Amino acid sequence: MSTLQLVQGNEACALGALAAGCRFFAGYPISPSSEIAEALARALPRRGGVFIQMEDEMASLGAVLGAAMGGARAMTATSGPGFTLMQEHLGYASLAEIPCVVVDVMRGGPSTGLPTSPSQGDVMQARWGSHGDRATVVVAPASVQEVHDLTGTAFALAERLRTPVVVLFDEVIGHMREGVTLAAPPAGSAGRPVPGEPPGPSFRSAYRPNAEGVAMVPDFGRGYRFHVTGLMHDERGYPTSDPATVAALLERLERKTDAALDALPPERYRLEDATVVLIAYGITARMARAAVDVLRERGIPAGLLRPRLLWPVPVAALEEAIAPAELVVAAEMNRGQWSLEVERVAGRQVPLAPYLKAGGSIISVEELVEHVLAATREGVLA
Amino acid sequence: MTWRVDSRFAGAGGQGLALAAVVVAEAGLASGYAVALTQEYGPEARGGASRADVVLSDEPIANPQCGIPDILLALHDKAWHKFARTRPAVMAALAEGRCTALVDADLVRVEPGVAGILALPFEAAARTELRAKVVANMIGVGAFACVSGRFSRDAIEEAVAKRSPEAFRPVNRAAVRRGWDMAAAHGSVFDGSLVGHAVSA
Repeated sequence: MSTLQLVQGNEACALGALAAGCRFFAGYPISPSSEIAEALARALPRRGGVFIQMEDEMASLGAVLGAAMGGARAMTATSGPGFTLMQEHLGYASLAEIPCVVVDVMRGGPSTGLPTSPSQGDVMQARWGSHGDRATVVVAPASVQEVHDLTGTAFALAERLRTPVVVLFDEVIGHMREGVTLAAPPAGSAGRPVPGEPPGPSFRSAYRPNAEGVAMVPDFGRGYRFHVTGLMHDERGYPTSDPATVAALLERLERKTDAALDALPPERYRLEDATVVLIAYGITARMARAAVDVLRERGIPAGLLRPRLLWPVPVAALEEAIAPAELVVAAEMNRGQWSLEVERVAGRQVPLAPYLKAGGSIISVEELVEHVLAATREGVLA
Repeated sequence: MTWRVDSRFAGAGGQGLALAAVVVAEAGLASGYAVALTQEYGPEARGGASRADVVLSDEPIANPQCGIPDILLALHDKAWHKFARTRPAVMAALAEGRCTALVDADLVRVEPGVAGILALPFEAAARTELRAKVVANMIGVGAFACVSGRFSRDAIEEAVAKRSPEAFRPVNRAAVRRGWDMAAAHGSVFDGSLVGHAVSA
């Protein structure tokens, strides 16, 4: 059963979370994400769920982690300033392997910045905002439908991989209304890995990984006695500083997130014969897609690669799209963040002409077309 | 040929233009179109003129932003000032027949001699004929739907009814019909050709 409705992006996020089984939300309202909290404040209590408005964003994610450890599918939503405050707990959730979803509706930063304007400035923060070599999973929807769907995907990945998953979009997508098909969630969505052995005094394997490299941590309250820590730990969950154990743990935490790459391949648009390859995500990808059509009309063989997963970087898909390119244009609403990943993958073999725009207004189709035409005129295309 | 209609609904705060845009977007969905609705947010949405934009298309919409509107509904002079009078590109589009403006005949002071403007008594009809000043926006929706050529009269009326609390459904239905008829009465202006513009596929 499915229904087509006019839905706002932030509402779609809340609906996607509910459909994915989210039953706990703790947050602190902030523009431009507040409608997510508003929608869940109405919906969760009616479904036997819990909504808590916390005193700040640090406490919000702390409460989410506690609920998640207790077995709930739990989420918070915020914007840049709140996302900054959540970084400490994000690191903890990564290392302690606590599944949760964190939504960041990006606005202009740094600091309180531009509270009501769109931005894509938190892309590197989502990757490196918390200290240490932390593996991350970050999804970037580009439409209201995709906000709904990828929020569900975020929960599925968070549970399966026992890791925080960040849903990253911007003010325009958050507040835009589009038609959304609210389909029932796919049946049989895999839950979180839990121990195979029953609780008992001999249980010593709370952080033993499964075949996918994901720790099989019991939920609190199931009779297991175990230790959860932000210190490096062994498979028992006990602190350790043994270099080999620590190195293996960090390697495992990074490797397990690779599963997200298969779950969310990038979208390819008119790339078959493209030698001018645009690369963009989120709202910017919408403009880039329209720009590709305009460029094609003007005889430029353009195409678009649109990552839906920003972290881990879909390196193989990027390489495939870039290989035949004579010009690569990564566009984003910041001073250069994910375009640096494009540069890293492209190396020095391909001419790059990134289009970067920070300041609070979105990249228009016209300016993107003009940029590409100028880059080709200037002989970047050899 | 793929088409899209960029439309802007503008007025003073409280005139219900955001709701008008929602109704049009929902009518679009019900008619099988792709829709994208964006509206002002933040300090600029407080007081003064406000706007909500709806893009309609028969194809998925990549760019959701309203460009030079194909149709501009302006129910207040502040809105006309902000979104037409002070925007040379919009005034040029009006003059060249690329934009149609539906403006309140009493509340908007339009420039004499500019083509493409249809001044209709939205607010006066709401007040005197329907005894409900608040439905001026729905009269506007009816006129918009007629001018756009993209909706059946039933489709737009149903979309309005769906958004109305039961007690106000009859007056809202009457409002949208009144608006449709007002615009249709200017059939010599609108020859039945579709509003909107072709886009590359």
